Amino acid sequence: MTTRAQVLELLDQGHTYETAARELRIPAGQAYMIATGLPADGSDAPSPEELAEKPVLPGSSQQLVNPPPFNPTRKQHVIDWVRRRAERDLRAPSR
Amino acid sequence: MTPSPGDWPLLRQLRGEDRMGRGAAARSRHTAGLTPRTAAADRVVKSVCPYCAVGCAQNLYVKDDRVVQIEGDPDAPHSRGRLCPKGSATLQLTTGEARERHVLYRPPHGADWERLDLQTAMDMVADKFVATRREGWEWERDGKRTRRCMSIAALGGATLDNEENYLIKKFLTSAGVIQIENQARVCHSSTVVGLGTSFGRGASSTLPGDLQNSDLIVLEGSNMAEAHPVAYQWVMEAKARGATVIHVDPHYSRTSALADMFVPLRAGTDIAFLGGIINHVLQTDSDFREYVLAYTNAPTIVREEFEDAGPDGIFSGFDPEKGKYDPSSWQYDGAFVAAAAGQRDLEGNVEGLADEGEGRDEAAAREQPKLDMTLEHPRCVWQILKRHYATYTPEMVERICGVPQDVFAEVCRLFVENSGRERTTAFVHGVGWTQHTIGSQYIRAASMLQLLLGNMGRPGGGVMAMRGHASIQGSSDIPTLFDTLPGYIPMPNAHRHEDLDEFVATTSARRGFWGNLRDYTVSLLKAWWGPAATSENDYCFGYVPRLTGSHSTYDTVMEQIKGTVKGYFLFGENPAVGSANTRMQRLGMSKLDWLVVRDFSLIESATWWKDGPEIETGEMRTEDIGTEVFFFPAAAHIEKEGTFTNTQRMLQWHHKGQDPCEEQRSDLWFMYHLGKRIRERLAGSHDEMDRPVLELTWDYPTEGEHEEPTAEAVLAEISGWNAEGEFLGGYTELKDDGSTSCGCWIYSGCYAEGVNQTARRKPAREQNWTGPEWAWAWPMNRRILYNRASADPEGRPWSERKALVWWDEEQGKWTGHDTPDFEADKPPSYRPSPDAAGPDAISGATPFIMQADGRGWLYAPSGVADGPMPTHYEPQDSPVRNRLHEHQRNPARQTYAHENNRYHPGPGEPGEGVYPFVVTTYRLTEHFTAGGMSRWTPYLSELQPEFFCEVSPELAAERGLEHAGWAMLVSARGVIEARVMVTDRMTPLRVDGRTIHQIGMPYHWGANGYSKGDSMNELSSMALDPSSHIQEVKALTVDIRPGRRPRGPARQELVREYRERAGITEMTGMAP
Repeated sequence: MTTRAQVLELLDQGHTYETAARELRIPAGQAYMIATGLPADGSDAPSPEELAEKPVLPGSSQQLVNPPPFNPTRKQHVIDWVRRRAERDLRAPSR
Repeated sequence: MTPSPGDWPLLRQLRGEDRMGRGAAARSRHTAGLTPRTAAADRVVKSVCPYCAVGCAQNLYVKDDRVVQIEGDPDAPHSRGRLCPKGSATLQLTTGEARERHVLYRPPHGADWERLDLQTAMDMVADKFVATRREGWEWERDGKRTRRCMSIAALGGATLDNEENYLIKKFLTSAGVIQIENQARVCHSSTVVGLGTSFGRGASSTLPGDLQNSDLIVLEGSNMAEAHPVAYQWVMEAKARGATVIHVDPHYSRTSALADMFVPLRAGTDIAFLGGIINHVLQTDSDFREYVLAYTNAPTIVREEFEDAGPDGIFSGFDPEKGKYDPSSWQYDGAFVAAAAGQRDLEGNVEGLADEGEGRDEAAAREQPKLDMTLEHPRCVWQILKRHYATYTPEMVERICGVPQDVFAEVCRLFVENSGRERTTAFVHGVGWTQHTIGSQYIRAASMLQLLLGNMGRPGGGVMAMRGHASIQGSSDIPTLFDTLPGYIPMPNAHRHEDLDEFVATTSARRGFWGNLRDYTVSLLKAWWGPAATSENDYCFGYVPRLTGSHSTYDTVMEQIKGTVKGYFLFGENPAVGSANTRMQRLGMSKLDWLVVRDFSLIESATWWKDGPEIETGEMRTEDIGTEVFFFPAAAHIEKEGTFTNTQRMLQWHHKGQDPCEEQRSDLWFMYHLGKRIRERLAGSHDEMDRPVLELTWDYPTEGEHEEPTAEAVLAEISGWNAEGEFLGGYTELKDDGSTSCGCWIYSGCYAEGVNQTARRKPAREQNWTGPEWAWAWPMNRRILYNRASADPEGRPWSERKALVWWDEEQGKWTGHDTPDFEADKPPSYRPSPDAAGPDAISGATPFIMQADGRGWLYAPSGVADGPMPTHYEPQDSPVRNRLHEHQRNPARQTYAHENNRYHPGPGEPGEGVYPFVVTTYRLTEHFTAGGMSRWTPYLSELQPEFFCEVSPELAAERGLEHAGWAMLVSARGVIEARVMVTDRMTPLRVDGRTIHQIGMPYHWGANGYSKGDSMNELSSMALDPSSHIQEVKALTVDIRPGRRPRGPARQELVREYRERAGITEMTGMAP
């Protein structure tokens, strides 16, 4: 079984959790759990003090265990539609 | 299969890698073969829980285009990955077997449902809409142009997306329909009035996540741990940091169990309680004086004509015949100010007000209110308050509320010690405060206290209004409500708003951001009518139908019974369970020609004609009911995209995870395609009444085989753009010259730069506690409102411990932990010239920028229909005499005289004592509002399987009630049965020298679904707050006795017998 020391050593060498996990042939989420004691899917409730002591990721860790996220924030056809609306509604002669 | 020796756990352990048996060795082969659905999914789609208004972020795990698992999103700053039982049951709610998949149709007088294909059903509804609209069309009333349709109404929906509510309001308004309402009316409409008139905006001033910064949290009129469990984590965080938590409530609940102090009080007496605290603060000079002088209207001098409510409980200006106030005598001395919310245009049919209004009376509007900074002038607000609350002594609080004086003293002490420069106190409230005939004033009282103690706009302070549905804040903002247009612009009134100039003159404020009302209104009209809206035709302002009074959902029920309303839409709302006096709701629906119900399952509001209580009693027969009923199965939130606005004003986008099944469709699809069909039927019409519909901008892009409208396009319209097609960054960019378009000015900027700001998901650990880059909050992404008040008049934080925003002299702008709720570059030293108008008239030292005077209102000179200051009246049904005033009840409340809406006799009236016990209602975590989203969900029904009532051991002994037995509860409106829970959680109170028993009941049940039971609202009456038109369901009276209720005709016989015994007539309870 992979040990915490093995994971931490790789992180110290500059690996990410993903590449460290590949080296160790374990899932990325498992590497995170081994190193931090916390589930990568965020299902624990660590205190700020606990977080400060552990090699947690600065933001999110759920990408280590989840499939790719779907969250687009732009739709080009909406932007195009708005331009047509502005042309018709606001730039027509009688405003 | 017989296990082999190799399967033996010990051998497996010794042979494998986990020789010590600490992990893998304990895993069976079966388990080893399982893969979590979360790991096997193709993608994770970002979404939001569809239940309450905490708006917990959700991850939808999608495999092969079907949602296979739903979990909380741990990156969310407000929910941190948690889901309550309801949120955890979302997968079952949305993908389970209980949902209908096909359109169902009930022909007139039909005995049962039939299948009807979706397209035919849509065509039939469109045909009926067109015909009914024409039959019920009204061009004018009392000589005033109304241009409206009174024969069609709509109800819902607070669980719909903002984009859906927007299209419903937009299309129905263009068609002249004004009776458009949703759950917000019956839920938190009092909050809008109370907070809006006090501070300038009618929404929660803060976010649950800020409660972690509170030193004291007072939960009153709220069962937050139960109704908003995930948000309650922030109360626990505050406790972990040393905060004190007080829960004030008639009923001991999960919230009370986690509080430091529980204060039981009699339902319906919170104004007396809060008034007592206000009196304590005033009498002991415990207020935050610098804050009060600088930021409230305490120093403002009121007109000489104003007379406070004396022993009779009546303020000046009351017309006893009409039961209404003329508020003009409440105004400031020498100046006129309009309210920022509430009844901003005042009742259109109140005589004598035709000449009022800041735009009309330019001279008065231009004058600055007179101030006395010594607070000694007898007519300054401060002195008026002191006199008004002088009778709210600890003795009176004990006498009215049943709160012992030592307990009350402790509450006062904690309030005072935890307010001021260094410490802040937060109020958390829910519908325990709003749902009263004086509900708006409850919120006003709390607002006043927070102003006196300097808690507004500061970390850990504020008034946290906990709203109840996924997007009920949105359905108030956008709104599907009769009395407002998007962004709380009032609906125009036939008597006062003939044209746009008149409308602006009487509705806008001379000072503050409501001074830009014309910009917001013209931009809205351009969004709705596009090129047809020009300066020559007032931007189609004449197309907006006019109000002539109250057209609330309860007024609509009366119009249904009268036969005026013929067609009705229900969008995800269940009035046959969730509205007051469910009998009247069903009676109204039985008079309709047609009814359209859109929901997941066959809720009671869809099936009453077949199996409602009146069918069981024999009062109605299915074959006699001519109402044609269409049931359209609705898409769930995972099957569509759009925004929900949660209780902290945050718009969160939810993406689509899968397509709906069979004939399920979103309400966006329904409204858009219904509108298209109606427009096709009206095409070519030269009738003037059809022009608003035909000229409406109704050409949204669609996607997919079902031609689903692109919700993001609707959001972009709501957010706004300019003539160059550039997306607006906020409402300060709006203009009144027709060069900007914006569907809702307070949401302007949510699509800034062509980026869906509501879809932002920056993890919590990468930003501060306000989470500014998670989604988007109105207005302009400000998370804590009025945060200018966290700094002193010179722009320095009142204390470093409570620093939020401050003036940076070097950079010449406001900065801090939140987006300043203030013009970024306006220095504290700015003082407006006497002629300044709009935002320019707000000084650099007045934080309440929506208020006409820039100050928080301790005293409301306008905007609230029943008085400038909260005053204690007893609930409509109460066994206790009002000990503060001669008038028992709110003299301005709205009542409805109908044989199915009779009220109870009060103390000293004939028949008193027949209904001696007080009832209050509440939520359970495991169920949701009127039950449509929980009683059909097996997990939730299993957790809370049965309707029950809670009674004290003392009441149980008095009435012979047995724990786990049955009881029937009777009012003048109906009789129900419930299982009995005998519990110490209900405390008999000593009130005015006698013992008052209270009964607690959840209100989620109805006759349909897996978990069935009687509806609590069979007992309640329609008696409303006059400002918000909200019903009183948090305090009523009943009798209770053991046993099951009668069946059949005997059910109504019992109700009649009680009414006879109480001597109830049409006049009972009608007097104030």
